[in-house]
Amino acid sequence: MFDLLPHILNGLTLGLLFALIALGFMLIVGLMEQINLAHGSLFALGAYFAMQLMGPRPPFPPDLAHAWLAMPLGWRYVATLILAPAAVGVVGIAIEFCMRRTYGKDPLYGLLLTFGAAMVIEETIRLTWGTRDYVLQVPQGVSGGFLFGDLIWSTYRFYAAGIAVAIIGLVWLLIEKTSFGATVKAGAHDSEIVRALGINLTRLRLLVFVFGTMLAAIAGIIVAPIWGIRPHMGVDAVIPAFLVIVLGGVGSFWGAVVAGLLVGLAVGLTGAYASEWSLLSMYVLLVAVVTVRARGLWGKKSVLEA
Amino acid sequence: MIPTQKSDSERLITPTMLVLFLVLATVPLWIARVGLYPYLGIEILIWSLYALAFNLVLGTAGLPSFGHGAYFGIGAYAFGLCQFNIVANLWICLAAAFVIAGLAGALVALFISHRRGIYYAFMTIAFGQIFWTLAIKSHKVTGGEDGLLKIARLPADLGFASFDLAGNVAFYYFVLIVFALAVIALWRLVHSPYGRVIAAIKQSETRAAHLGYNVWLYKASIFTLSAAVSGFAGGLFAMAQLAAFPDVMSLHQSGYVVMMTLVGGGLVSFWGPVVGVFLFLIARDVIGALTNAWMLYFGLLFMAVVLFRPEGVAGAITAAWQNRSLHSMRQQGGSALRLLFGGERWR
Amino acid sequence: MALIEVAGIHVRFGDRVVLESIDLAVPEGEFHGLMGPNGAGKTTFFNVLTGRVRPSRGSIRLDGEDVTGLGSHRIAAKGVARSFQIMTLFDDFTARENVMVGLPGFRARGFDMRHAADGDHGFAKEASEVLTTVGLADKGDVRAKDLSYGDRRALEIAVALGQNPRVLCLDEPTSGLGSDGVRRLAALVGRLKGKLTIVAIEHDMEFLFSLADRISVIHWGQVVARGAPHELQQNEWVKRSNLGRFA
Repeated sequence: MFDLLPHILNGLTLGLLFALIALGFMLIVGLMEQINLAHGSLFALGAYFAMQLMGPRPPFPPDLAHAWLAMPLGWRYVATLILAPAAVGVVGIAIEFCMRRTYGKDPLYGLLLTFGAAMVIEETIRLTWGTRDYVLQVPQGVSGGFLFGDLIWSTYRFYAAGIAVAIIGLVWLLIEKTSFGATVKAGAHDSEIVRALGINLTRLRLLVFVFGTMLAAIAGIIVAPIWGIRPHMGVDAVIPAFLVIVLGGVGSFWGAVVAGLLVGLAVGLTGAYASEWSLLSMYVLLVAVVTVRARGLWGKKSVLEA
Repeated sequence: MIPTQKSDSERLITPTMLVLFLVLATVPLWIARVGLYPYLGIEILIWSLYALAFNLVLGTAGLPSFGHGAYFGIGAYAFGLCQFNIVANLWICLAAAFVIAGLAGALVALFISHRRGIYYAFMTIAFGQIFWTLAIKSHKVTGGEDGLLKIARLPADLGFASFDLAGNVAFYYFVLIVFALAVIALWRLVHSPYGRVIAAIKQSETRAAHLGYNVWLYKASIFTLSAAVSGFAGGLFAMAQLAAFPDVMSLHQSGYVVMMTLVGGGLVSFWGPVVGVFLFLIARDVIGALTNAWMLYFGLLFMAVVLFRPEGVAGAITAAWQNRSLHSMRQQGGSALRLLFGGERWR
Repeated sequence: MALIEVAGIHVRFGDRVVLESIDLAVPEGEFHGLMGPNGAGKTTFFNVLTGRVRPSRGSIRLDGEDVTGLGSHRIAAKGVARSFQIMTLFDDFTARENVMVGLPGFRARGFDMRHAADGDHGFAKEASEVLTTVGLADKGDVRAKDLSYGDRRALEIAVALGQNPRVLCLDEPTSGLGSDGVRRLAALVGRLKGKLTIVAIEHDMEFLFSLADRISVIHWGQVVARGAPHELQQNEWVKRSNLGRFA
């Protein structure tokens, strides 16, 4: 049993990361009933932006770059956690401007549109940064490892899991406990209610979408030091994110979180015994659940299933 | 409805088909002169067949399948493995590609045919990923990421005569004949009572069920058929490439066939997938020769099609051809797209 | 023995009981009306009768044969046709194609992949005849989605009639029709009456009371009153709930 513990812990931290990756995707699906297939590319873009900001050649004019590089690594890291998602948010605005043409039509339009957008972003990444792998520098406080029991644990993994818990908690508070969340929930997809309340629907949707893309970017920055940075990382992220949502059930916040943890555990445990097949386990898990349950674990009725 | 169209649906071979086949038959004569090469012709024909098979599911049945590359790939592996382990006979190996991919499709259909919309779509992705992972990780059987190499273009033995298909031109003509036969069969299928029922189910599962149709069985059968024909195309592709690789089974490549079909106009036209494949592969070679960012431009083009032209290129051509208003075609494209996900609730 | 025999049907969704112990016996050739307030469970009852919803308890017999829990396509194949309150047509098909797909002969060839669907003109002729009975003789080539609302309602019934059913279930056939449309429909149903067994959910009391042989009133998932129209008008429950005031 004790042999299993590290794998379970490993799986749980991985699961929290999956839940974090899925968070922005879930908001857009749950609140707007739109599938944002560009989620993974935005996730990757966040990581690339952060890498550029944290690297030796930040994208600033010379003077500013000098001052930036003079700052301690920790400060730069915190500033990057804000700046990179903001930059990705701008890309999100551009996508939303295209996507608003599809509102009120079928969600498949949005899905296909964002599939195209994902291609465009991924190609842009390939053209800008090439196909090589990059590493994202992190402050010393969260890198390295520590000894516990007889095993060396990665500090960063626990830091990342902690951040994931914090962000998931904050987003939940924002949606469930604030008036902004109430408005968004009431109307991000039910235009009549919102109009009746005199709320600017266009802006509300834009806000939700951009918020979702920024969450994708943050997830990218947090996950990048573990997975590495390469053009393909977007696809590696969007599929688990989509999977977690479908497994948890469309429209269920905690369904997605639990699904993330389950996927993490499945991948972590199979990874321990048959690492070749670890990625397969999440698909098998999904097939097993959705074969029996029409809407994943706790899905609600939605336009996305007809 | 236009009377000419109606009679077309009753014909075994339509005028469009004849013209297409005749033009395709001349391709090896001039393709090198316009700066392209015969192998591209082979690729286009095989992908066209694959896209037509895929469109049975997407366009005819309105089922969002996003992991179809799996069956194309399984067909390719089945062809190679049959050649190496069972018998090196062209017909048997092609039949194996058809049957094995069909069996894989039937297995998946068992799990997904009672699901709809996003859940259906993601189940197809999940199965696609499962097959892809299996292909990559089963080194001993498939050669893993290196691929299954040294697949031969077996001679076409007709009993009274045997043709060597090793050369690209000879192989092109073989593929063209197979393609022509397959197109005739698919045209018949789409316009048969079975095709009509599938189209009805696409528009309303509820009504079809209350008219006495076993919706599950029809959905499962069209998916299986589509997978089998995709696998058949995959078998041809293995011959073309002289190898079978797992990359056609990846999510990316499965996405490409969706894009080709939609850009071409598969939702409103039988020929849409073919148009899309032509555009895609020729753009890849022509634009790809000028810039290595061609996927970027294709992505932008695709976004534009989704936003402004849901009826696709074939839809626009048909509209011009039949003097039907582009607007009605666009509506049809829009409503077909809507059916894929929104289903009955959104009409 | 009645053609339709429903006994003790219970339906619950989660912990919500929608139908509670419904009994119904409809003899062959009867026109049986179902009425009751919205949300009383009428459409759910139809869904049970036509195999769309599986009852938690109870049984359904059709001509003596137990059909409880059979899928909707099985029940349809046994000769039970239905129309829908929310119109459920094949919108991209023409009116004729809509009816054609429902013909039993066409259904028998559902897995025929080798012949042209339009090649057999017998189907087209049969479908055209059905269209004529509902007054859509000249609309055969019009796409369902391009038809007017009233014509779509007529096509709803035509598709069900094309199935050549023994039992015809109509779910609010007059819904949304103007007085002229209702009159046309009443004439059509009047002609069908006696030739086949009809069960109809209807809010239009005039329509129902003038045509139905017997009527069941459903409320809170139960049958609260049943009888011939003139009996029902005297029924305390119907009077109290004002359901009979239009009659």
